[in-house]
Amino acid sequence: MSQETESTGKQITHGEPSILDRLRFARQDVAAKLPPLRGERIAYLLVSPFFVLFGLFLAFPVVYTLYLSFFEWQSVGQGNLFWVDFGPFYVEVPRIAELQFIGLSNYVRLAGDGLFWQSMFNTTYILLIQVPLMIGLALALAVALNASFVRFKGFFRTAIALPISANIVAYSTVFLLLFNEQFGFINYMLSQVGVSPIAWLTSEFWARKTIIAAVTWRWIGYNMIILLAGLQNIPQQLYEAAEIDGASRLEKFRYVTLPQLRPVLLFVVVLSTIGTFKLFAEPYVITGGGPTNATITIVQYIYRQAFVHWNLGYASALTVVFVGLVSAISIAQIRIGGDD
Amino acid sequence: MREQRRKDAVWMFLTYAFILTMVVVMLIPLYWMIVAATLPQQEFIEFPPRLIPGTAFLDNFAALQERMNYVVTIWNSVFIAVVYTVLSLLLCSMAGFAFAKYEFRFKEPLFYAILATLVLPIQLLVIPLFLMMSQIGWTDTFRAIIIPWLANPIGIFLMRQNMRSIPDALLESARMDGASELQIFYRIALPAMRSSLAALAIILFLFQWDLFLYPLVILEDPGNYTIPVALAGLEGTQRIYYDQIMVATTLAIIPMAILFLVLQKQFVSGILAGSLKE
Repeated sequence: MSQETESTGKQITHGEPSILDRLRFARQDVAAKLPPLRGERIAYLLVSPFFVLFGLFLAFPVVYTLYLSFFEWQSVGQGNLFWVDFGPFYVEVPRIAELQFIGLSNYVRLAGDGLFWQSMFNTTYILLIQVPLMIGLALALAVALNASFVRFKGFFRTAIALPISANIVAYSTVFLLLFNEQFGFINYMLSQVGVSPIAWLTSEFWARKTIIAAVTWRWIGYNMIILLAGLQNIPQQLYEAAEIDGASRLEKFRYVTLPQLRPVLLFVVVLSTIGTFKLFAEPYVITGGGPTNATITIVQYIYRQAFVHWNLGYASALTVVFVGLVSAISIAQIRIGGDD
Repeated sequence: MREQRRKDAVWMFLTYAFILTMVVVMLIPLYWMIVAATLPQQEFIEFPPRLIPGTAFLDNFAALQERMNYVVTIWNSVFIAVVYTVLSLLLCSMAGFAFAKYEFRFKEPLFYAILATLVLPIQLLVIPLFLMMSQIGWTDTFRAIIIPWLANPIGIFLMRQNMRSIPDALLESARMDGASELQIFYRIALPAMRSSLAALAIILFLFQWDLFLYPLVILEDPGNYTIPVALAGLEGTQRIYYDQIMVATTLAIIPMAILFLVLQKQFVSGILAGSLKE
């Protein structure tokens, strides 16, 4: 700033500043008032690659799905283009088959589709048991591993988190065999303590439990690590203060740990809910959706409609309803759990 | 006092018992997988099940490799996940830096768009993406598996949250020293975010590693299969060779386990660095 006034100082002796100087002053003035704007160009440069891809492969498909949900897909065959008018946007989209506009028919059909509601019920059932169970165990483990007297923390943490290394289809296969009714390890262990074999995969009640066990096993460690990171961020002074006040372990957990951990817990709960909602590979591999559709999930049903029966329009309508539902639940969780 | 010490001892015992039980529960499936991979099929499906590993791992692997080129499959998965992770890290950290440290027009609406897609189960873009990919002729290519997911909403969200913890004074002093904005980004912001980048690398790698439905509909040639697609194929055949599947499964764990072991310290410290505490 001081350099500028020195260099322009000469001209002031000539009387009025020139128009160029006045412009320069104006520019400096603006720059001084809005310092970060200096980076606007660079900011666009930094965000544009992300948003080009975001627009093409996230935003556009979302709108496209909505669009498709009003159509019926007829006979399959690759070929021409047809185009879509989204008001100001003119986009050419692929055509695999004849599209016939059928308005809201897909949505009407969906409302009366028993299998869709069955898949909704299954997914909700699994979710309501699995997410609290997993978060509860992950939280208990994180608190246990955060205790100052526990040794070999690194080893325990690694062992518990190791399941996330198992590929999603790979670990599902392992569970398929573990829970096999004839030669599976679980039934063998049960037989050792005198429990008769359980039909893990062929009874409606147990098949859902098997799926829950599998998903929980895979993701406990992942959530535990995030919660552990959150616990380590809690200032130690809060615990010391609580101790001076004579707080018990439970009270310290209730009045220090839980409130401090709330944002992290919320993060973990929202991500786990979304994750379990879009359950697909586990039931696909372990139970195939059976027995008698007791474990078919929403995503699995959408997959069937889209890529087995090629009802892409109907599958899109299912997707729209599903996405709306998951978004609503996530937002509700954030509303209830956030600091408002 | 003695009462207190006894209570503490009980508490310590219970804590250890809980941790050890969970460790055993977590390791049983992995151990059993290794046992199964090292036994010939007929011994594996006996009852009672065998609990000690056998010696047939290499035979089982040879049989698997004969049926499908599983080495290539692992390579495909690793290649796709690594390229994806590196590119997405770059995109997300660039955009995250801009959101954390610059003012620009449309910043708010763009950020809300990202937040909206954060709760969107993105696996469900499979139908429109499948149609787009078949139209532009990208089916059965790796770029179709990598490119559509590069703009990862969780990635930009995490980088934006964490990069806000970089002190403005640090950036300002670099500007004084004549560094360009891009230099500030890769000389100062990126190194400062090392642990967050490591945490995000795990998240991104795991995301791509787990993609199943999407590659299942995009990939056609078995030579292009990723691990989950190939494994699903192994199960679809008429006679199921569990021994081979277990070999494939055991090998499939190794790359992610290595990445996780190398980066887990940073994952713990990086995932919440300066975020979520607003």
